Amino acid sequence: MIGFGHLLSLAAIAALLGGLSAVERKGAFQLMLSRPLVLATVMGWALGDVRGGLMLAVPLELLFLGGVNLGGNLPDNESLLAAALTAMLVPAGLSAHTGVDPPLAALGLALLFPLALFGRRLERAQEQRNLLLLAEAEGLAARGDPEPARVNLRGLLLPFGASAGICALAVMVAPLLARARMSADMPLVASLEGAWHAVWAVAAACAIRAIRDPRAPAFAAVAAVAAMAVALALRGVL
Amino acid sequence: MAEALARPAVHRVRSVTLLRVFFRSLFLQAAWNPRGMQNLGFANAIAPALAELYPDPHQRAAAAARHLEFFNCHPYVAAAILGGAVRLEERVASGEAAPQSVSSFKSALGPPFAALGDGFFWLALRPAAALTAAVAEPFIGIWCLAVFLGLYNAAHLAARTWLFSVGYRRAEGVVDAVGRAHLASGTPLLKACAAVLAGLVVARCVLAAGLPDRPFHALLVASTIVAGTALLPKVGVTRAVYIALLLGLALGGGFF
Repeated sequence: MIGFGHLLSLAAIAALLGGLSAVERKGAFQLMLSRPLVLATVMGWALGDVRGGLMLAVPLELLFLGGVNLGGNLPDNESLLAAALTAMLVPAGLSAHTGVDPPLAALGLALLFPLALFGRRLERAQEQRNLLLLAEAEGLAARGDPEPARVNLRGLLLPFGASAGICALAVMVAPLLARARMSADMPLVASLEGAWHAVWAVAAACAIRAIRDPRAPAFAAVAAVAAMAVALALRGVL
Repeated sequence: MAEALARPAVHRVRSVTLLRVFFRSLFLQAAWNPRGMQNLGFANAIAPALAELYPDPHQRAAAAARHLEFFNCHPYVAAAILGGAVRLEERVASGEAAPQSVSSFKSALGPPFAALGDGFFWLALRPAAALTAAVAEPFIGIWCLAVFLGLYNAAHLAARTWLFSVGYRRAEGVVDAVGRAHLASGTPLLKACAAVLAGLVVARCVLAAGLPDRPFHALLVASTIVAGTALLPKVGVTRAVYIALLLGLALGGGFF
């Protein structure tokens, strides 16, 4: 098992990365560093299991590929889920000596998936709170302040703090998940592996839907059949 | 000649100030709010240019207050409007244009540029780059991150820089320049590429479940993908994930 001191240091790392990703996601740069593909892998590397992070990264990215922030319409918060899930699963995998394997990933996803919805509500609340910053800027402008919008960057503090806190908490509960993983018997492990395959299938379906083009399913079907035929022919199956 | 001499000198912001404005534009949505949307970010980004154009604090305060009006656009394509707004503020500061022209410019270009940026960056480029990385991941491991970030940001940063630059140089003429940039016409092509890449991801899923010698497993995963594609708009991602987890749990023990 991971010692308490080690757990605290992992919590600090997860909090920092989780907080920065929340800021980068919408408020700053938007270089896609907070997308699940990047964030889960980098978080996994920082916490000591880059392969575990990458294992979570690809299906999470595909699940949320269609989430788009159009005007006032908010998508589910994929970054919060990716950060918290990786922050919980990597220490749990290290603690259970299994690494982030499919059973652990399926268990963690079942537990934490609602965080994506919670993250959206949190973002809505943050936007409401930004109205206070707007009122402050308008007050400064009314008093003749030459730079009333200097309050702008203060809008980044709440997303940073909220995400950092959730990621730190996720690390702290990792030992409980490690215990659950170690006590799982073989039939349950096999079931959870099956569940992870099913999640991958839904992720692939989400990827097709994310393209939002009526031709996409047909193009994807043709490409899938062709790729499988080539792969099977190369293996000598066809 | 006499007429030219009589005309007031046009103020120009320095290149370093333009760089500061561009850098601040990277924080356009830091304080996104439901009433003004990106107004605080826009006003904060243009502040260095206003400080240079209006040495008088009262004039500068009036100019800054103008930019607290509602503004919303795609965060990348907004760079063109920001560049154009700096150029128009130069004209306003020189007495060549009315302050209202800046507001009209922003409100006229915001919605169409938002639609252009959403369609190209969010709905075409990002899925295409992410799916390329997902397809490459089994072969190159964590280097797929470099593929994703490289493909996406090469286009994103080049476009953002160019849009700001052309916005500043052309002001109202930015519409023609953006129209010739083929963002809208490139979108269907990128989407078609993304769809083909999604098909390769599907093949990866089905083969991973079916090999070696598990054809029924492959069939089940393929069926889940087809059903998911058909039902996702009605069911939603969250419910689809939990249904899949339950289905996998129920069948997985004896199946996988």
